Amino acid sequence: MSKHQIHLDINGRAHDASVEGRLTLCDFLRGDAGYTGVHVGCEHGVCGACTVMVDGLAVRSCLMLAVQADGCSVTTVEGLSSGDGALHPVQQTLREEHGLQCGFCTPGVVMTLAALTQGEQKPSSETLINAMSGHICRCTGYQGIRRAALRLAGETLAPVEDHG
Amino acid sequence: MKPAPFDYYAPSTIEEACGLLAEAGGGATILAGGQTLMPLLALRMSQPFLLVDINRIAALKGISRSAGSTRIGPITRQNEAIADATLGSAQPLLVTAVKHVGHHQTRNRGTIGGSIALGEPAAELPATAVALGASVEVRSAKRGKRRIAAEELYLGPYATALEFDELVTDIHVPEWPTGTRWMFRELAQRPGDFALVGLTGAITVQDGKVSRAGLAWFGMGPTPIKARQAEAALLGQSLDQLDHAAIAELAVADTAPFDDHHATSEYRRTVGRRMFARALRETLEAKA
Amino acid sequence: MNQPETRTDRYIGKRQARSEDLRLLTGRGVYTDDVSLPGMLQVAFHRSPVARGLIRSIDTSAARELPGVFAVLTAQDLERYQPNMLSFFLAPPVVPVPLLAVDRVCYVGDPVAMVIAQDRYIAEDAAGLITVEYEEEAPVVTLDDARQGPLVHPGTESNVAAATGADELDPDLEELLNSAPHLEVIEMKHQRISQSPMEPRGVVAAPQGSGEMTVYLSCQGPQLAARWFSQAFDLPQTTFRVISKDVGGSFGLKGQPWREETAVVAAALILGRPLKWIEDRLENLTSANQAREQDMKLRVAFDLEGNLIASHADYGINNGAYPHGADSNIAVMMFLWAAHKLQAFNFSAKGWFSNTVGLGAYRGPWALESLAREVLLDRAARKLKIDPIELRRKTLITRADQPTMTPMGLALEDISPAECLEELLKKVDVAAFRIEQAEARKQGRYLGLGFATYIEPTAGTAGVIVLISESCHIRIEPTGKVSAVVSTHSQGHGTQTTMAQVIAERLGVPFEDVTVYEDDSSRGGYGSGAYGSRQAVAGGGACIRAADLMADKIRAIAAHVFEARPEDVFIRGGRVHILGAREQVYSLRDIADVAYAEPERLPEGMEAGLETQYRYCPPALTLTSAAHACVVEVDVDTGFVRILRWVSSEDVGNMINPAVVEGQVAGGLAQAIGQVLFEEVSYDARGNPTAVTYKDYMLPTIFDVPVFEYLHGASAPSQTEGGFRGVGEGGCIVGPPTLVNAIADALAPFGELKLEFPLTPPRLLELIEGRPMGRRHG
Repeated sequence: MSKHQIHLDINGRAHDASVEGRLTLCDFLRGDAGYTGVHVGCEHGVCGACTVMVDGLAVRSCLMLAVQADGCSVTTVEGLSSGDGALHPVQQTLREEHGLQCGFCTPGVVMTLAALTQGEQKPSSETLINAMSGHICRCTGYQGIRRAALRLAGETLAPVEDHG
Repeated sequence: MKPAPFDYYAPSTIEEACGLLAEAGGGATILAGGQTLMPLLALRMSQPFLLVDINRIAALKGISRSAGSTRIGPITRQNEAIADATLGSAQPLLVTAVKHVGHHQTRNRGTIGGSIALGEPAAELPATAVALGASVEVRSAKRGKRRIAAEELYLGPYATALEFDELVTDIHVPEWPTGTRWMFRELAQRPGDFALVGLTGAITVQDGKVSRAGLAWFGMGPTPIKARQAEAALLGQSLDQLDHAAIAELAVADTAPFDDHHATSEYRRTVGRRMFARALRETLEAKA
Repeated sequence: MNQPETRTDRYIGKRQARSEDLRLLTGRGVYTDDVSLPGMLQVAFHRSPVARGLIRSIDTSAARELPGVFAVLTAQDLERYQPNMLSFFLAPPVVPVPLLAVDRVCYVGDPVAMVIAQDRYIAEDAAGLITVEYEEEAPVVTLDDARQGPLVHPGTESNVAAATGADELDPDLEELLNSAPHLEVIEMKHQRISQSPMEPRGVVAAPQGSGEMTVYLSCQGPQLAARWFSQAFDLPQTTFRVISKDVGGSFGLKGQPWREETAVVAAALILGRPLKWIEDRLENLTSANQAREQDMKLRVAFDLEGNLIASHADYGINNGAYPHGADSNIAVMMFLWAAHKLQAFNFSAKGWFSNTVGLGAYRGPWALESLAREVLLDRAARKLKIDPIELRRKTLITRADQPTMTPMGLALEDISPAECLEELLKKVDVAAFRIEQAEARKQGRYLGLGFATYIEPTAGTAGVIVLISESCHIRIEPTGKVSAVVSTHSQGHGTQTTMAQVIAERLGVPFEDVTVYEDDSSRGGYGSGAYGSRQAVAGGGACIRAADLMADKIRAIAAHVFEARPEDVFIRGGRVHILGAREQVYSLRDIADVAYAEPERLPEGMEAGLETQYRYCPPALTLTSAAHACVVEVDVDTGFVRILRWVSSEDVGNMINPAVVEGQVAGGLAQAIGQVLFEEVSYDARGNPTAVTYKDYMLPTIFDVPVFEYLHGASAPSQTEGGFRGVGEGGCIVGPPTLVNAIADALAPFGELKLEFPLTPPRLLELIEGRPMGRRHG
């Protein structure tokens, strides 16, 4: 069983560690690095809760080994909001749209949407909704997630009406 | 669900990787994108003693075109393939197929070569490789290079003609002539699921007649299934005289679907027949 | 209220953004797996690969020798602590439930040994090194197996775990059924469902060394869990404190601790070390209690106008080997005809033991009543050639018919499914749909429109000792901020927000100034947390009364200290206004300063400090009503179902937060869609589970769930404090029949659906094609 020295950047901070070959990236981020916002929902790549950004791309951290992230730049949900505590636009939009209930799948949802909207990207609503098919949410029926994704794609939604 | 212990190496050259595979004598597993392997490791259904991570081998990357063929480096990420302009114009069917593989997040890691080398019978890329007449170039430390046609690659579910010490170094996909029409249909219960029934292929039409056809099923048997009888029946046929239903019947005759948790073989045959006939009609009616 | 300035304090009924979201969106929630303690060790279980058999020998020597392994425990080692595995209602089990298998294994996944190691990787390595010799026996897997097969638990008289109703048919009822102008009979088989919270179960048990056992638990309410541990272990010298900050969904699964969590607590007591067990998804899909595997034969007699004459139900539910509580699910019978004009009803209901994972609760555990009734009503309507809506208008009890009593003795005062249906029909144009449907059929497209109505018992208390009341403690802190400790608990419900909305409004303070705590059994008083759609009603009521007491106290102090009449004191925007020739304004901090620091200035006899509490007992039952409609298209080439529209019309009483209410409805409906179309825990003939990952246990994705429309127009305040009604389970109850009826309507030209769930594409294509499509494996 091999041990490996890795050096990576997590949420803008350099991180050195010695890891066993078999340690998954999600377990490393949660346990060794302390970023417990990375949630482990299935450990077989279906639920999407563990999604983080590796070199700017949304990936399942349960489907990568920690050693594979050597030399990479990793962003977890803890690394998104700015220092002054203000929410990232993705987080703010999800909050406004009640896009979460238990919050367990949420960090993954946030990271996919953040990855696809960062920088100068102008993703279509189709791109964002398609990417949301990679996240399982058992609570919300995806209503608020869908609305948030559409808004992040620049669509203007009719406000929610209160009937009666 | 934690992987059993293994040794891990991430070689930077093909030679090094092949050396490790040869030394391990069958106890090694190649880690490419890991989007299928990692769950198998977590479930301890796969317990190699050595994991050879090929993600740091620069020679396995890249997409290029030469004399009627496109070369794809096996560790090209699926999302890189989708975004690649060269591939988009040279191999539109392959790009369509890649868009159906898994989810956005898994395509950021998952590789073209990993999917093709794994041989999941319900996956999009092996069948598309078979349909297009692709081949893989493989290397072993002892026997050097050889080339395997996709059609010869798949022996059963997750079983391929690759020897334990062989590494796929290149994927060669022939470019089809102008006038080729592409056909891709996949029926899956949810986005990203493996197909209940899938169909992929290319049909070249010249002067109103079919001059070449490559068609393959996925999710319709233990391997990707080449629809040989249907291909033969199409050749030389004039588009306005095609009996789509009869050709679909021939196409289904080559399949060997099974019952599993998601569907029955009779379901797959019934739906496949319709899917084929309709896809054929729509593909050939469309303007090239 | 005609004083405009009070409007800033109105929070009840507002779509208030949730307080919880700030930590949950930024990855700063604290779920059980996020808890890490000094010296903590990790647990993995060795589980039986055999559904039924005798344990001949267990060899743990290789596992013990593995470096990093601290201990390997089997049933023998835990003998010192054999807790009484109580049900949610704190009733003892009908068969002994061991923590780890003793001599015999009863399902695939039955825990046989536990490994305690420095990390989970090593614990799993060691669990794999344990060898157990089994003498395998033929298992009892299905309900039919249970009825005919050998005993699951030797020593019992039969495999019947629980029974209600009568085995013998009532001749009078049979006469009514058999002589009726129309008898409609359905037989249905409902598949087994995994609750599948995104966070599986988990526990950290930390003995404190002085008789204090702190348990971090993924649960539905820390108060109930602490009570459960305390009563189950019955260790007078040990105090159980349960902490449960954030929980990633429960849906009934985490209503009570079960074998694994309890085994970890017992092991921690033995070893004196903090232990963590986090269920992985494989364990969750194979070893966590499951729900819904049921069958029912329902017979209903009608006259030719569609009036109901009589009904009989024959019902069975698979209890597995170790149910959370042996259950024949009497609530199915209670609510089958509770909202309908039908008096002659009888039933037989049985729960059956089998060699499968035990039965647990799942959102709307009795939901089969709505599925069976609504599907049968539609079927009868088609045969009697009566509009299904007319049939419901004819048979539903309306507001005008109440008060009345159901055949099962339930008093009805304010149910309104009929009124919800009328509200729904204002938005769903049935006539226009029928034209569209006819046009579409000409083009080979099969559209269907389905309706269902239901009533839902929420915040039920009658006779259930654990559910009688909820408590709220409010403090105005010396800082002037408001803290409330409420016995509610959120696993996504957002009660930290909704309870704060209620308190802020009733107290007259800004929402932002109120912090609600509900995560620690050592704070506040007993309550059951999230169970039975009760938190808005029971918790909300407690918050109103505690806040009102606090407002009274503040007014009394202010009036006394500032020499005013109490009726001239108002609290608005977090400030205390004293009306008079010259209006005086004080902060809550000013009042707190007096209350905490200068008690001598308080009215005579008044207790120092600013703390109030109220334990609210809601009425025996608060009923929520709804009518739903959905439109589907079924692809007759493939049997695929696409949901085109879904409209929900409910009577949810006064809403605290419409976004939270709609979130509950939507979540329940998504689970309903999963049940009807995708999800199935399946077993092969040997009792091996065959859907053990999320590739095979298929949960709905964003593409499978449509945009839901909500109508709240039929809502009327309930009799409870605040006029609230519960809404937690409804979507999961009314959703399945709504969708099934839409599919049945779409496919009516091909005949009637076979009621075996889920309605997979092969099953639907079988009906469309009129020929068998073969059996799925597993």
